[in-house]
Amino acid sequence: MEDHNTFWKRKTLIWDLAVMDLKLRYRNSILGFFWTFLEPLLLLLVLYVVFTNIFKSQIEYFPLFLLLGLIIWNMFARGTQFGLNSILSRSGVLSHIYVPREILPISAALTGLMMLTFEMAVFGTFLVVFGLIPPATVVILPLIFILEFILVTGLSFPLSLLNIKFRDTQFVWGVLLQAGFFLTPVFYNTNILPEQIRRIIVFSPMVQIMNMARDATLYGKLPTIESVEISLGTTFLILIVGYAIFRKLNMRIIEEL
Amino acid sequence: MTDISMQVANVSKKFRLHHERRNSIYEAVTGFLKKNTHYEEIQVLDNVSFDVKKGEMIGIIGKNGAGKTTILRLLSRIYQPDSGTIITDGTVIPFLGLGLGFNPELTARDNIIIYGRLLGFSKKEITEKEEEIIKFAELERFEDIKIKNFSSGMAARLAFATAVQVDPDIILVDEILSVGDITFQKKSYETFLSFKERKKSIVVVTHNMDIIRKDCDRVIFLDEGKIQIVGEPEKVIEFYTNKFNK
Repeated sequence: MEDHNTFWKRKTLIWDLAVMDLKLRYRNSILGFFWTFLEPLLLLLVLYVVFTNIFKSQIEYFPLFLLLGLIIWNMFARGTQFGLNSILSRSGVLSHIYVPREILPISAALTGLMMLTFEMAVFGTFLVVFGLIPPATVVILPLIFILEFILVTGLSFPLSLLNIKFRDTQFVWGVLLQAGFFLTPVFYNTNILPEQIRRIIVFSPMVQIMNMARDATLYGKLPTIESVEISLGTTFLILIVGYAIFRKLNMRIIEEL
Repeated sequence: MTDISMQVANVSKKFRLHHERRNSIYEAVTGFLKKNTHYEEIQVLDNVSFDVKKGEMIGIIGKNGAGKTTILRLLSRIYQPDSGTIITDGTVIPFLGLGLGFNPELTARDNIIIYGRLLGFSKKEITEKEEEIIKFAELERFEDIKIKNFSSGMAARLAFATAVQVDPDIILVDEILSVGDITFQKKSYETFLSFKERKKSIVVVTHNMDIIRKDCDRVIFLDEGKIQIVGEPEKVIEFYTNKFNK
């Protein structure tokens, strides 16, 4: 007897759900994309004005540095928030049709990755505007994004189910994201931080991802072995632990919907 | 497993009845500190065993809260049994709460695709069947309208039409004759019967004794989570009515 309803048999559903989600987010229109992108763009404007005129940031290509940082951070923040809601928001379907539940958080992270891709296209036009031809090291950027996608998936697994068990998970996560935004070098460079703090935050995969992506895209530097090791190590640790929690909670959680 | 499509053996299921529901991290922490049990367990199903043959239509009857819908949810794998096993041979399609899976912001067409995908169609299959589904649901003029502008009957019809296209081997139905208007109900019921003729199995939960009497091959009477009696419709209905008319 063959089981047709396993994760591997149904994995193409991940893509379709992500596309459908994307359509909904953009409300089937180009203007929809514009609206979702307006928020980071306005934040970019504020941060840009503050840091070039008031704090006089010394970072080379600061506007591009900032925009890339915001796009990468957005993927993380949005992706985990989609992931957090991925099961709860489909409670209607899930209490009537059986779908391997792993599919939903992964698909949510994929939606985040798709939005990142669109936003990177906009970043591309900014490169043109600033007349910067990215160095050859930019080719590793997709790999860094895939790593970020894995990280978001790893966090979305436990978050999606915890959010059903404890409905305030989303608020707690919102606060953590807020803190993460400041602890991750989105609008500053890690080297301005005191040594003690820097030694701790290097273990954040997001800090590593952020630095590696910028070095490769703007400054022609390949990631150091240390960065690669730390980012891969922490990301996969999060994925494994996250999935273990997901498996543990998955059995009975749907009854709580 | 030649003529049996579904085998349920010694299945038990408990639910937690929450007295104070701890739905937040805050409540979980404060509740833990208070150290009182905040729920009691109710045995919804107690050691239930039965099997379903191919081409057979089985009815499940019983009072509200007897565990009928829980059985269907266990059979469709939405719930996991606490103990016991459920073995199924073939695709199972549940007709429970039809249309609840639709996304109100998407058009009927998009919803067919995504609902079909969730039910187990491949993208290609569902796109091929799209027109047929719209026709069956009698929604030809509405295919590009968003579901939020549909009446609940229209949405249920669309869900039904999509689900029957899967060509399932085992169909689970909760109160069949509740989809759409009279003509559509007749049509949907005939569809179920045509499945039966094609050697598909149907498990139906209903309070409609006419259906039980006319079309079910066997009937299970469930009370307080236990199977009281299984057998010929007439016999079981008699037992059922006697029990509650005393």
